[in-house]
Amino acid sequence: MKKALVLSTLAVLLASSTALADTSGKRIALSNNYAGNSWRQAMLESWAKVTGPAAEQGIVAAADAFTTAENQATEQAAQIQNLILQGYDAIVLNAASPTALNGAVKEACDAGIVVVSFDGIVTEPCAYRIAVDFAAMGKAEVDYLKEALPEGGKLLEIRGLAGVFVDDEISKGIHEGVAENPQFEIVGSVHGDWAQDVAQKAVAGILPSLPSDIVGVVTQGGDGYGAAQAFAAAGRPTPLIIMGNRQDELAWWKEQKDASGYKTMSVSIAPGVSTLAFWVAQQILDGQKVPQDLVVPFLRIDQDNLEASLESTPAGGVANVEYSLEDAKKVIAEAM
Amino acid sequence: MNLVVRLLAKPWIWAFVAAFGVWLATILFTGGASTLGLSQAALTFAAFSIIVGLGQMFVITLGPGNVDLSIPATMTLAGTVALKVMDTNNDLIVAGIAATLAIGIAIGIANYGLIKLLRIPPIIATLSSSFIVQSTAIWYNRGIRIKPPAYLAEFSTASTLGIPNVAIVALVISIVAWVLLEKGIYGRWVSAIGQNMRAARLAGVPVDGVRFATYVFCAVLAALCGFLLSCFSGGAALNMGAEYLLTSIAVVIIGGTAVAGGFANVPGIWGASLFLFLVVSMLNTYGASAGVRLLLTGLIIIAVIIAASRKQTV
Repeated sequence: MKKALVLSTLAVLLASSTALADTSGKRIALSNNYAGNSWRQAMLESWAKVTGPAAEQGIVAAADAFTTAENQATEQAAQIQNLILQGYDAIVLNAASPTALNGAVKEACDAGIVVVSFDGIVTEPCAYRIAVDFAAMGKAEVDYLKEALPEGGKLLEIRGLAGVFVDDEISKGIHEGVAENPQFEIVGSVHGDWAQDVAQKAVAGILPSLPSDIVGVVTQGGDGYGAAQAFAAAGRPTPLIIMGNRQDELAWWKEQKDASGYKTMSVSIAPGVSTLAFWVAQQILDGQKVPQDLVVPFLRIDQDNLEASLESTPAGGVANVEYSLEDAKKVIAEAM
Repeated sequence: MNLVVRLLAKPWIWAFVAAFGVWLATILFTGGASTLGLSQAALTFAAFSIIVGLGQMFVITLGPGNVDLSIPATMTLAGTVALKVMDTNNDLIVAGIAATLAIGIAIGIANYGLIKLLRIPPIIATLSSSFIVQSTAIWYNRGIRIKPPAYLAEFSTASTLGIPNVAIVALVISIVAWVLLEKGIYGRWVSAIGQNMRAARLAGVPVDGVRFATYVFCAVLAALCGFLLSCFSGGAALNMGAEYLLTSIAVVIIGGTAVAGGFANVPGIWGASLFLFLVVSMLNTYGASAGVRLLLTGLIIIAVIIAASRKQTV
């Protein structure tokens, strides 16, 4: 699986290397605001795995990754200014704030630098955005529940980090889905901060006061395993918990599936989206016409491809795909 | 009657009053059906705050400017390294605990080394060492989550006579801390230093030795807490200590320990830790939105601190 991915990437690289001569002298930098969880670690690994060979083969001159220590917008703004001075041709950006970096991003654009933001996007109009339709992701969860639990029932919602845009969007999608499907009712809502231990704590706190007939748990990723543990600790039957592509979640799901035929689905964003942003930046430097706003597809795991996904996910990591140049071209074409 | 008056004079009573109040409000919501579940959950999760809170309490009692900000990073590193050392193997549990203690001691020594030898204020010294410790944890296994050995996973999630095992561990540590603080010379020394370091030095208190021991004690407790938490939650995560930075300080303050140092108490840590867990559970149960929840949490904490500090000054 992995080999095939590498080979196909190489094949694409070889096939298109003549057409890409234009970017062989270009240098691309990754400006990243945070590295302290497994998703971000996988994101940086994917970046190294794809951009390393790309630089060796002369598709680009360099693709260096920089991460700030404190996850602060001011610190990242200073970092972007350094990258401008160092003369990079493009900056791929996972931003600490959607708005606070706009000044620094504008400076970069004015200096003729291509800025491609992804995951944590920026609103500055001159930057490119590879955004996730988080609301659609939330809605997809309810759509799945509709099929899996046709009679409906009571749901527990685990949200992310309060006050963050992503949390609001996913929750909005979930609530829209529930409004369209009145057979479901959200009877409790807690914030799990996308972290397994926080989710476990929050769910354990609210469970004793929830009715005993919870049929499903809608989540935002990183919190499914913690929810499962809280249900087990309270001695309650495990409801259908939507998972978020973390290896511990998938491993738990596999255990339950083998033991009792447990069914659910898992959805999140692949950390390899950093490589999609890399290829988009490369395409822009290559002179291709690219719309300012692109949408990245979700990575969804279902009952039948659970084993394959679990096998390719490192212990403690996140299910991941690296994107190829072809994928980037497809995403660009779709947005045209 | 006399007992009530004496109890009300204790600085830690208000944390318990508040904890009891929110506990009652939460179980009333369900007509009492949630009593056992909620109490067990509260004891379980309060246990982790209690363990780090005790260490932070001793550090804060050393006087103005003393605080340990490296607690989250220490927890993360200890959990990460211990689980990797044990590698899900029941036979290596002793090695895992040894690694945990060694990490705690090493970080404590490093912290006090920065404070004493390089004359860096504790707040800066422990903050900067936390960057190094956190980076070490990231470098050590890149966020790979390893499951705890089966015995430990079982132990940390199970209960004995209805009381969660982690709460029993926290109780044992609390009794040790209480004896150290109230019955031993060490506790007197810590309080003396916190009240006036110069006077303590002139009175013959081994100031450097006591401060050194206190920072090591705090780091060891943080390491132990990280170890327990990662066993409890099925593996160490890189961001698992994050919420314990503010929590460790909050439980000390809400528990009635003087922020300026010099006066500490152990029971307050329990009241405050239970309260902090229960207040979130209560507001979740009543379906308060995140904004309202944070607002009310802040207001309740302020109210408890005002009540506690008033009693102290009278």
